[in-house]
Amino acid sequence: MEEVTRADDATRFAFRDDRSRGARLAWQARIFGAYFVQFLKMRLAYRVDFIIDTLAVLFSLIIQLAVLSVMFSKVRALDGWTYPQVLFIYGFSLVPLGLFNLISVNLYGFADEYLIGGRFDRVLLRPVGSLAQVIFESFNVSGLSEIALGLAIMAGAGVKLGAHFGVTDLLALLFLAPGAALVYLGVFLGITTVSFWFEDKMGLAPPVYNLIRFSRYPITIYSLPVRFFLTFVLPFAWVAFYPAAWFVGGEKFGKVALLTPLVGVLVFGGAALLWRRGVRNYVSTGS
Amino acid sequence: MEPLIHVHDLCKDYRLTDRREGVRGGLRDLVSPRRRDLRAVDRVSFDIAPGEMVGYIGANGAGKSTTIKMLTGILTPSAGEITVGGMVPWRQRQQYTRHIGVVFGQRTQLWWDLAVVESFRLLKKIYEVDDATYDRQMKLLDELLDIGKLLSQPVRKLSLGQRMRCDLAAALLHQPRVLFLDEPTIGLDVVAKENIRGFLRGVQEREGVTVILTTHDLGDIEQLCRRVIIIDQGRVHFDGELAELRRRVGQSVRLSVDLRDPAASADLAAVTAGLPVHWDDENGLRHVARFNRAEVRAADVIRLVVNDRPVQDLHLAEQPIEEVVREIYRQAAAGNADAEAAK
Repeated sequence: MEEVTRADDATRFAFRDDRSRGARLAWQARIFGAYFVQFLKMRLAYRVDFIIDTLAVLFSLIIQLAVLSVMFSKVRALDGWTYPQVLFIYGFSLVPLGLFNLISVNLYGFADEYLIGGRFDRVLLRPVGSLAQVIFESFNVSGLSEIALGLAIMAGAGVKLGAHFGVTDLLALLFLAPGAALVYLGVFLGITTVSFWFEDKMGLAPPVYNLIRFSRYPITIYSLPVRFFLTFVLPFAWVAFYPAAWFVGGEKFGKVALLTPLVGVLVFGGAALLWRRGVRNYVSTGS
Repeated sequence: MEPLIHVHDLCKDYRLTDRREGVRGGLRDLVSPRRRDLRAVDRVSFDIAPGEMVGYIGANGAGKSTTIKMLTGILTPSAGEITVGGMVPWRQRQQYTRHIGVVFGQRTQLWWDLAVVESFRLLKKIYEVDDATYDRQMKLLDELLDIGKLLSQPVRKLSLGQRMRCDLAAALLHQPRVLFLDEPTIGLDVVAKENIRGFLRGVQEREGVTVILTTHDLGDIEQLCRRVIIIDQGRVHFDGELAELRRRVGQSVRLSVDLRDPAASADLAAVTAGLPVHWDDENGLRHVARFNRAEVRAADVIRLVVNDRPVQDLHLAEQPIEEVVREIYRQAAAGNADAEAAK
């Protein structure tokens, strides 16, 4: 073998990573910021698509609003919940949903594009967390309009309720909305992760996504088994009703709301652990 | 010297599901799937020193890509160990991948919809390349690979050869110490192949980068690698210098002899009687002698032939590496058959 003179120092060839944890976190944040900027540039190149997407989202939200107002024109209250209260819950539900939609597009196509299409090889070759890369490689910008509309509806409903929201409520929103978004993310990440083990498309995501709409009503209107299901099994009660109860739930549910971030961390953490095992089980496609 | 890459008894099993036919078969698959394990890589061991350039070759499905994917941290081994620069690729994937460069000929590592330069800028951020190093590397890579004109185009609009040049540049931007190349010249024309080979030789000589290269194109191996590892059905069948491979297989030289007169070809083999030379008649005028350089000097054969027969032309060539590898496969298959028979 040829003598490589530069190799006389053996430690030169031991790989190292000396960065602190904080430095690595900041570095990852910078990378995904750059991903987002790139994505926006790409999206804005197709401006018409962008506008159509946004309009489509607004249209579907307006229809849902109309359904709510028609319903409450027939009945005064729903199991003791008034129109402004239900409207507020609906408005709140849009904020975590928008956050979730903003970053979840790649989860739906994960099995097809990443596992079968082979893009996951490239993800694993980069020195960045694989889950974060998949999530931040694409965005659904219409999530932003959901967030904006949700905030507007909450404000409108708040005025109707005659409620006074202070700084505490604003801080609560900053914890509750991302916490609820983590619940969404955890549930759908869990479903996505299954495709590491089962090649066949599970097709579970769309029906589960449709169940989200049940989460927008006060949970007390459902029978006990349904309540149990939405609280502990498929925890969609935590994406809208429980956290929104901080604002409109009064004595009974106001405190429960504060558990939302914890539930979010648990659900998402569980799914992230499953993801780690999935990556170990990853079988690349033939070359 | 400490090996940079250490692979010991490495195995990878894939679990396959055999499908039954028809609707009833489909239902039965659902209840009790027929599964079996396929061993794609079987107790592979080798060590590679810093600065080596090693050809890793084998037929389709021999286990080449699976090995590379384990070395790069994409796949988790079923058994055995790998360390590269003291790190375990699959376990320390995130830290490890900062130190390696990878090019898959079949698939780009760049962002499909972005302009090439945007991809490079993202990679600069990801690998934390500082501005000065980035500028220096870009200048150097542009000189060597001529990618300057391509930078503003989206990756999807590049030709295969252009894309490969950009992929190579992207893999070297962060100055990795190990480079894994999986079929880097696949699908390229002769000129593009030569460019890529010249570039790789330069990088290896100048920077002492350690390179593992898989390929179908044995021209890559002949021009780039001194050491070859041959794998078939998941097992290593040869690991050594290219020259040693030729010696092992024997008959490594081909001497074609064009005679002036077909009549002169009668009993040509008698001319070299006593020497281990094998003669083939190609078309009456052209005859090919094969012999092992270790046993017979080419000069002796040539002298004997020229002194005895009217020769128009002579051509001496090393046996093409394809034939050498085919011979290794044949020997491996014969070995397997013997082992089966012994059972």
